[in-house]
Amino acid sequence: MHELGIVYEVIKIVDEFALANNLTKVDKIILEIGQLSQTIPHFVEACYPAAVSDTPYQETKLEIIVLPARGECQACHEIFNVVDHRKICPNCQAEDFSLISGREFNIKEVVAY
Amino acid sequence: MEVYKVLEIKKSVYENNDREAELLRQELKKEQTFLLNLMSSPGSGKTTTLLRTIEALKDEMRIAILEADIDSDVDAHTVAKTGTKVIQLHTGGMCHLDAGMTRQGLDGIGSEDADLVVLENVGNLVCPAEFDTGASKNAMILSVPEGDDKPLKYPLMFSIVDVLLINKIDVLEHFDFDLDVLRAQVNKINPNLIVIPISAKTGEGIGEWADWLRGAVKNWNQPEPVVESPA
Ligand SMILES: Nc1nc2c(ncn2[C@@H]2O[C@H](COP(=O)(O)OP(=O)(O)O)[C@@H](O)[C@H]2O)c(=O)[nH]1
Ligand SMILES: [Mg+2]
Ligand SMILES: [Zn+2]
Ligand SMILES: [Zn+2]
Repeated sequence: MHELGIVYEVIKIVDEFALANNLTKVDKIILEIGQLSQTIPHFVEACYPAAVSDTPYQETKLEIIVLPARGECQACHEIFNVVDHRKICPNCQAEDFSLISGREFNIKEVVAY
Repeated sequence: MEVYKVLEIKKSVYENNDREAELLRQELKKEQTFLLNLMSSPGSGKTTTLLRTIEALKDEMRIAILEADIDSDVDAHTVAKTGTKVIQLHTGGMCHLDAGMTRQGLDGIGSEDADLVVLENVGNLVCPAEFDTGASKNAMILSVPEGDDKPLKYPLMFSIVDVLLINKIDVLEHFDFDLDVLRAQVNKINPNLIVIPISAKTGEGIGEWADWLRGAVKNWNQPEPVVESPA
């Protein structure tokens, strides 16, 4: 499954970060996932326990922040949510926009000591 | 009692893979090996097209195949029968390949002795679009029975590929598939995309495809252009 592989990648990055910063315990991992990312937050949450079981991150919590899919209208430069507005500018009804955000998949931060 | 603190990482999950892929691409360039990443839905005709491609080019270049598509009618054995070097990659049920897995495959097959390596990616249009394999060029196959509205459903895939093969044009008359509609949609997403209609069954269009590939391989092996300063 796609999300499982992704979660392993997340753990790998967090692990490298923990090592480099001498962290002894990671309490929480906070991810940012764009509304248009091919990775679905619900599935990430679903496979997370399997990915961390029997690792030092077994007790680590997971939080996901969804970043909105924002586009800028090429005609009138209005910035709008392209999912909510079905890719049509709410101001001038044009259909051409450039995507400003929405495809991200970032590890934002960790809570740790 | 230890105090928890919030530590910012701010790192894209794809960043490691992107870096790894770029490194691999540079190494391939140095060893003059062209890597083509071939993607499509299951059953669009990746393996059949590969067999045609081998037939067309095997006398002019050394070809090797990395086979990651497991659930296919025609598999690594079929390719092996053509006398071309091929290895089956063990993807462990993963739905995409990353640069690390691609590198393992290239090492396994001895890519430095090949001019053209084709990676037959896992049959899936979603996540292979997000994972750079380190390929020199990315190709996608869309087959006629899948419909001309696919670019609307998978815009990311259509936006990252360099060349699009429309396969199974031998059955065009039986389907409601309009090549002009498709070209118009694709052009909106990716104006530079090359579209080549083919039939891996009859061989139609394979000549044009082989020409494109020949040109791409030649370009890849050109030294970086030296910018001459005006005298
Ligand atoms: N009619 C027709 N069938 C094709 C063509 N290319 C492939 N096929 C058939 O489509 C099926 C899937 O092909 P395959 O190469 O295994 O697809 P893959 O899963 O993408 O590797 C096979 O039964 C092929 O014989 C074509 O150009 N025309
Ligand atoms: Mg196949
Ligand atoms: Zn995947
Ligand atoms: Zn507008």
